[in-house]
Amino acid sequence: MNRTAILWRVASVLVAASFIAAWQLVADLRLVSPVFLPGPDRAWAALVRGFSSGDLAGKLIGTLEHMAYGWLAASIAGIALGALIGSSRTMRAYVAPSLEFLRPLPVSAIIPVAIAMLGLTQGMALFVIAFGAIWPIMLATVHGFAAVEPRLYEVARSLQMSRAAIIGKIALPSALPDILAGMRLSLTVALILSVVCEILAGLDGLGHWVLLSARAFRSADLFAGVILLGATGYVTSIAMSLVEQRLLAWQTAAR
Amino acid sequence: MSVVAKLDEARAARRQKTLIAFNAATLRLGGKTIIENLDLQVRPGEFLCIVGASGCGKTTALRLAAGLYRPTSGAVTFDGEEITEPRREVAIVFQDYGKALLPWRTAAGNISLALEASRVPARERGARIEALLRKVGLPGHADKYPTEMSGGMQQRLQIARCLAQEPTTLLMDEPFGALDAMTRQGLQDEVLSLTEASQTTVIFVTHDLDEAIYLGDRVIGLLPHPGRIGIELDVDLPRPRDQLATREHPEFLRLRRQLFDFIKATEH
Ligand SMILES: Nc1ncnc2c1ncn2[C@@H]1O[C@H](COP(=O)(O)OP(=O)(O)OP(=O)(O)O)[C@@H](O)[C@H]1O
Ligand SMILES: [Mg+2]
Repeated sequence: MNRTAILWRVASVLVAASFIAAWQLVADLRLVSPVFLPGPDRAWAALVRGFSSGDLAGKLIGTLEHMAYGWLAASIAGIALGALIGSSRTMRAYVAPSLEFLRPLPVSAIIPVAIAMLGLTQGMALFVIAFGAIWPIMLATVHGFAAVEPRLYEVARSLQMSRAAIIGKIALPSALPDILAGMRLSLTVALILSVVCEILAGLDGLGHWVLLSARAFRSADLFAGVILLGATGYVTSIAMSLVEQRLLAWQTAAR
Repeated sequence: MSVVAKLDEARAARRQKTLIAFNAATLRLGGKTIIENLDLQVRPGEFLCIVGASGCGKTTALRLAAGLYRPTSGAVTFDGEEITEPRREVAIVFQDYGKALLPWRTAAGNISLALEASRVPARERGARIEALLRKVGLPGHADKYPTEMSGGMQQRLQIARCLAQEPTTLLMDEPFGALDAMTRQGLQDEVLSLTEASQTTVIFVTHDLDEAIYLGDRVIGLLPHPGRIGIELDVDLPRPRDQLATREHPEFLRLRRQLFDFIKATEH
């Protein structure tokens, strides 16, 4: 790491620290009633308590599971459908208009439909999360497959590569930067929808925890849940960039 | 009989045969006739150069020979068989090497693509790749990505990948068009020595008339709208060719003059 990178890192830590200090100050001065706003000290204590009593860890795992299953289902289906649509010009012409209609549809609008059809179940949650998370992945994949350099397909033809080899060795790696960018966007969508589904359907998870804490005016527990949700988003996104860096090492090799 | 005489005889015998033949090949694209009634025979082991003004159909003719296009009427044959699809023994060197290489694969990985396609077992690939890189003057660059290489090196890499196909025929579309003069001359000599050693048949498209005469056994000049043959010159210059001596040869200068006059006449 060079000097400026270290300075930036220090600066960002300072900003975070002063943010927490300001929060503590607001809580200590009782600018907001402690019933609604606990200080970082109380939130932290609630976090530790939640983990040691075992409750919170279970909720966290519940949310991570909802998120992971929905996101993985969205990834598999999104990449498969996106590849199918993106690699054929006729498919793009036929399907693109429907996609444009479905894409701006807020996922919240299909939640009642999903509940009516599937009930307040894990299956409903999985469906809603996957349905919301599939769009960024699928659209990015369509774009990635449509943008494969045509010259590379000619290279593949002259090498008489099989269809499977063309997809696996030419199209997929070429579309990978787009696909990964879509998967990163979907990660956030999946987290948000996991919480929403847990709140609506009372499924075990941080969403449910946050809801119950709010109802019981246990603001410290509420904040502990929110902090965990933020950390989940942060950590998964960092993990995703590490994966991206590894898989796309060739892009940075240029300079 | 001396070895040289035997070789000459073998060469003469091959000359009688035809490897690639355009028989009244016509190609229409988008309502436009791009190539019309093209008749051309390429002999095994021949180095044939195609020149012509921009847009006269050189690339299109090459793509017909490659099987990337099929003629609207007439036929293009390889070894007497109609060409319907690209075949592995015919390798294509594209002008835009930057687009023809896989940016996510290293030099070794790009060559490996051809070996994988020919189902060379994984344990044999390493040695083959190393030998090919050495052959095209890129030893020690196996782990570089194409974007880390100069234009000349990228084109060398593309040639190495084509050689990995073990082609009997090389189709080259202005392969050195984007390179500087020095790199270009170096690669010309490398292509000559690579193809002469293996008796590879070459169809070489170029804008550069000097390059065409320097490399070729024969030079074809195309006329535009629609593309057809306007001039055909046999190049009887001694081999191996030499960048200085060949280019100063009176026959070289005579052919060059003839070709320049032809091109000038087609340009308006
Ligand atoms: N797919 C296509 N559809 C319609 N017209 C085409 C197509 N491909 C090429 N042409 C036309 O055919 C003619 C010959 O093209 P071609 O690329 O073979 O020329 P060229 O001799 O290789 O030119 P250059 O020296 O610029 O590379 C051009 O007028 C071009 O516009
Ligand atoms: Mg061309």
